[in-house]
Amino acid sequence: MSDMNIDLELDLKGLLCPMPMVKVSQNITNVPVGGIIRAVATDAGSMADIPAWAKSTGNEVLQAEKIDGQFVFLVKRVK
Amino acid sequence: MEKKTIESMVGVLDARMNRQLKQYMDICARCAICKDACHQYVATGDMKYLPARRAELLRQIYRKYFTKAGQFMPALYEAREPDENLIDELYESTYACTGCRRCTYFCPFSIDTGWITAVSKGVLIAAGRGNEMLGQLADAALFKADNMDMFDSIIVDGFKDVERELREETGRDVAIPVDVAGADILYVALAGSHSIKPAAVIFDAAGASWTLSKFEAANYGFFFGDPAKAKLIADRFMNEAKRLGVKEVVITECGHAYRVAEMFYEAWAKEKMPFKVRHILEVIDDYIKDGRITVDPKAITQRVTYHDPCQIGRNGGIYEQPRDIVTAIAPDFVDMTPNRETQWCCGGGGGIVAMEEFNTVRLASGGKKVEQIRATGATILACPCENCRLQIEELDKVHDLGLRIVPVMELVAEALVPKK
Repeated sequence: MSDMNIDLELDLKGLLCPMPMVKVSQNITNVPVGGIIRAVATDAGSMADIPAWAKSTGNEVLQAEKIDGQFVFLVKRVK
Repeated sequence: MEKKTIESMVGVLDARMNRQLKQYMDICARCAICKDACHQYVATGDMKYLPARRAELLRQIYRKYFTKAGQFMPALYEAREPDENLIDELYESTYACTGCRRCTYFCPFSIDTGWITAVSKGVLIAAGRGNEMLGQLADAALFKADNMDMFDSIIVDGFKDVERELREETGRDVAIPVDVAGADILYVALAGSHSIKPAAVIFDAAGASWTLSKFEAANYGFFFGDPAKAKLIADRFMNEAKRLGVKEVVITECGHAYRVAEMFYEAWAKEKMPFKVRHILEVIDDYIKDGRITVDPKAITQRVTYHDPCQIGRNGGIYEQPRDIVTAIAPDFVDMTPNRETQWCCGGGGGIVAMEEFNTVRLASGGKKVEQIRATGATILACPCENCRLQIEELDKVHDLGLRIVPVMELVAEALVPKK
């Protein structure tokens, strides 16, 4: 995953759910189809919110991991 | 515009038409008293934010299809067949509205613009012009709820993390009970832990029998304007409450979620629920007054003011309990003016904080709230609504108010006196 080309970095630290999901959703059209957003959140609720948003909108979560107390997501715009 | 689309829009209006809506469609005297009541119109002077104008757009469709005069003499009676221009105008006016219903309070006929915009949203959805962001958020909530096998362990692990954090923060073991059949209370929080932690600490101190819902209180189906989706989202925790046999459902500090659960759900479900629905602040107020928890009356030394969220105050009737709670822990409490029924909307309701396209009007429309807060001289704002907090946090940054914006229950958790 580390050599993946990231099109947009989103710092969502400190935002409370559901705002991390809202911010990813607002920004998905700012990357091209096939492009990737890397989002870092601190609210645990985002671990369910962002994958659920991706599934329901037809986008793809390539990574959703807790790393050093932060929740790191790689979201690929599919359409 | 295609005939089929127009038929679909008129069909929605027909399905929602009742005596109440018909009266609102027929009765406006165009006195324009509502112009001074709307925070968006006051801030911008833009006609599309005038409450009477928001309603007038729907009235034009109504006259065209529901009145003889409008059918036969549309120009004379200001009746209009929907076209793309009308839909564009309706979209801007409707989704910008925060549903605060301050205009209703001042209207001499009590015309409920919030009700009218709710119907307008249905008409827009039928035209394929529902707000995309709110629709996505509603669908995500439904997807999560419908696929709990996929998310259950993530959600429960998150609750365990909250328990660990509470242990580190308070030095005490505060349990987050889940799926407890026969508990007195099903507490429905938001997805974020900030709405779980203070409630858990207070329930623990009160010795309450409670269990935490795996579903969240927020309801973007309601903001989107689709009652069927809104009901499906609320079904999850209402069915959970039935399954667990709780005595009451307690909704967290979230304005619209409380209103959905307490005021709309039974009508949507067409059944009486076998439990009460209360707002968490009603419960905490009882705990303090009944002596189930003890709070330090001087715990908060800074000046505190309180923001009446529209959905909890003007639209929910909860005014005194939050004030009683805050004054029980903060001796220097200063109320805003005006307050209670006539308080100004902060500008962040109705899902508008999620819709970037309205950012300019949203921030401008917070001007009245900024003036109110400044006049109190408070450095802490107690605010029991997530959308209001998001909006006021942004206003705080833009206007450099130097505020700490905090849920009421968080202040209570700080003021708790441990039992001996």
